[in-house]
Amino acid sequence: MQTNLSDVERRVKRYWYTDGLGELIGGGMFVLMGTYFALQEFLGQNSTLGGILQAGFVLLLIGGMFLGRRLIHFLKARLTYPRTGYVEYHTTEKNTLRRFLAVGIGMGVAMFLVVIARRLDSIDATVALTGVLVSVILLVNQIWSAGVLRFYVLSAVSLLLGIVLSVSHLPDGYNLGLFYGAMGIAFLISGGRTLQHYLRANPLPAEDSNG
Amino acid sequence: MAEDLRSVTGLDRLIHEPARLLIVTILASVASADFLFLQRETGLTKGNLSAHLSKLEEAGYVKIEKTFKGKLPLTVCKLTAAGKKALTQYRQQLQDFMQKTSSA
Repeated sequence: MQTNLSDVERRVKRYWYTDGLGELIGGGMFVLMGTYFALQEFLGQNSTLGGILQAGFVLLLIGGMFLGRRLIHFLKARLTYPRTGYVEYHTTEKNTLRRFLAVGIGMGVAMFLVVIARRLDSIDATVALTGVLVSVILLVNQIWSAGVLRFYVLSAVSLLLGIVLSVSHLPDGYNLGLFYGAMGIAFLISGGRTLQHYLRANPLPAEDSNG
Repeated sequence: MAEDLRSVTGLDRLIHEPARLLIVTILASVASADFLFLQRETGLTKGNLSAHLSKLEEAGYVKIEKTFKGKLPLTVCKLTAAGKKALTQYRQQLQDFMQKTSSA
């Protein structure tokens, strides 16, 4: 049994990403965000529906985070656990602190982006910064998740999209809408392919295979 | 040198066995894992895995629970505090031994 124990630990951490469900849900969220920004631009800031949308954005973000995770667990219970087994990861204080820190940094950066966008009176800077931010988050996620290569590709796509769209001179909100929409589609493709490969490689085992 | 070599005999033989070491290492990386996951990750047969898990359970290193996740019946295994301590101790002993023998 020639097995490197550190590799075993990394493989176990990677298991969360083995089915691509996280990317599929995340991709769906990104597409919704893209639609939001494009609609906001289309309707204009002063319209009633635009105001409702603006208020709904916070709900979309917070609700999406909670519901997204629940949805992933729901789907994993039906697709992943019967095929390749159930794993519960540690929820230590360190992990909780890390999660709060990530949310805090995210909120801080988001506020920073709003301030920058208002000062420059240009959303182009916002889309470039968003591209960099999403790219960095994906890279950090890649390091934490111990070697999921496709996140490098998604990170590069985000950076490239941010740069390209920042110089595209498209109307304000459409830029962000396009960024999130395209990133969402990239996530959906990545997650879809991963899930397809996973389901093909792991057919449902016989009924009594869980000990 | 002889003393260094003798320190290997002090290793926890229950964990030192490769299959059990693998099981314990996997369980140390997660809060819990089910029988199917352990079987796939270790590549052991059902009978073999059951036997190793029973030994680890008898030693108090692993806790095994029959439970449900929704409608899915699961045999969930967790590493106990004693199991974590034993693994840490084992790794430390092995590391010390490797350092001593490589510097000798």
